[in-house]
Amino acid sequence: MAESAGKKKVVRVDFAFRRELAEKVEGNLASFCYQCGACVGDCPAMTYTDDFNPRQIMLKVLYGLGEELIGDESYLWECTNCYNCAERCPQEVKPAEVIISMKNMMADRGQYPPGVEKVINAFLTEGRTVAMNPAIDKNRARFGLPPLSPVPMDEILILIEASTGEGKES
Amino acid sequence: MNRFAFFPGCLVPTRYPAMEFAIRHTLPKLGIEIVDLEGTSCCPDPIYFKSRDKLDWLSVAARNLCLAEEEGIDLFTNCSGCTATLSETWHLMHENEEIRDKVNARLAKIGKEWKGTSRLRHIATLVRDVVGYEAIRETVVRPLNGLNVAIHYGCHLLKPSKIMNVDDPNNPTILEDLVRALGANPVRHDKWYLCCGKACSNEDLPANMMRDLLTTVQEAEAELLCLICPTCFGQFDYGQLKVAKQFDEDFHTPPVYYFQLLAFAQGVAYEDLGFERQRFKPEVMNRFKIREPIEEPAK
Ligand code: SF4
Ligand code: SF4
Repeated sequence: MAESAGKKKVVRVDFAFRRELAEKVEGNLASFCYQCGACVGDCPAMTYTDDFNPRQIMLKVLYGLGEELIGDESYLWECTNCYNCAERCPQEVKPAEVIISMKNMMADRGQYPPGVEKVINAFLTEGRTVAMNPAIDKNRARFGLPPLSPVPMDEILILIEASTGEGKES
Repeated sequence: MNRFAFFPGCLVPTRYPAMEFAIRHTLPKLGIEIVDLEGTSCCPDPIYFKSRDKLDWLSVAARNLCLAEEEGIDLFTNCSGCTATLSETWHLMHENEEIRDKVNARLAKIGKEWKGTSRLRHIATLVRDVVGYEAIRETVVRPLNGLNVAIHYGCHLLKPSKIMNVDDPNNPTILEDLVRALGANPVRHDKWYLCCGKACSNEDLPANMMRDLLTTVQEAEAELLCLICPTCFGQFDYGQLKVAKQFDEDFHTPPVYYFQLLAFAQGVAYEDLGFERQRFKPEVMNRFKIREPIEEPAK
């Protein structure tokens, strides 16, 4: 994982990475990418950082360069999820979705930025991304709104059992 | 009355009850009956929870859609993130049989099935398509004539456009038209198309992007920034404070959620709309007075 595949002279396509990615929902879309670069111009992550480029990310996916894409310090979390890339792509690749599929691969390995993990844990505990506290209902009452009812977590947990059961970090 | 199920999501009911109050106050005046659903959860959010596992994300979202199907009505959201999740889920379930079977197999374990009978809209498109601009204008008793309003569209109301089907993502007009219905004057800042940056885990990127965006809002001489998403709101309120400190600049661009602006135009007092909790307060609104009722001409 540590040494970068970018330094190798010959690029070998890592099919294991591509197969794993293809298992994810809409994970296989990069296969249609013909590297035109239409997704680049309006990408804010490209404009405002030095390293992020959706065309290049799709190329790395095609080569299966997993170790340059996912990992503890992955730059894929810089994506703002704006979907400009999907809007521009003539091949309907949706780079934003391919990137989220790779985030799913990182999640399988327990690799989340702390801020992301915090929100996920709030959801897994109470079914909302904001943790409940008494001030919330007090503030609602000020606007004549009733207290919030708890989310039926038994149902939610049954729905996601298949993935939590596989030892996912949560 | 048109009946629609209300999908409140997480942020509005917990952090921004004034927005929820405004929705519940304004929609009935526009002829829309709000039906509350029992047992909704987070949509779940299209950034964090979706990053964890897309199939889990789709399953929980499909459950939320089922709750409206059980009532036999369509539903609306008040947040662009919820809109993204629920629209995309509907779309994928509709288009992709494999996904539909997988998700429905999970839903069967809790006695539910997604059928696709309830469609979802963002509240902005609900009022555009079901109510109409003219009917909105008729409810205004405090016209905001001459108020210069910049619009922040955000991303997920419009994109991906094939799924959202709301407006032209390269030149949308829906929010300008909604603002115009209140008598206000929409102004377009140069960088109107930029995103709020909330989903990005890098700190500098959103800060630099917001600085660029707010600079053009100032150049356009907008008095406030109207938006329709609580996540974008947080970025432009608390986030704006951080950016202003970081760059030592004073943009002073108060963000206002459209339905609070509508409630104000419909006559709700400024003090009742929770603006005092914002870091940047839209005090400029206080110059508008409720219009004197015009005597009906004798028949
Ligand atoms: S969604 Fe696409 S265009 Fe937007 S930041 Fe991510 S890669 Fe770039
Ligand atoms: S626009 Fe589409 S086809 Fe072109 S480089 Fe980007 S992802 Fe590939």
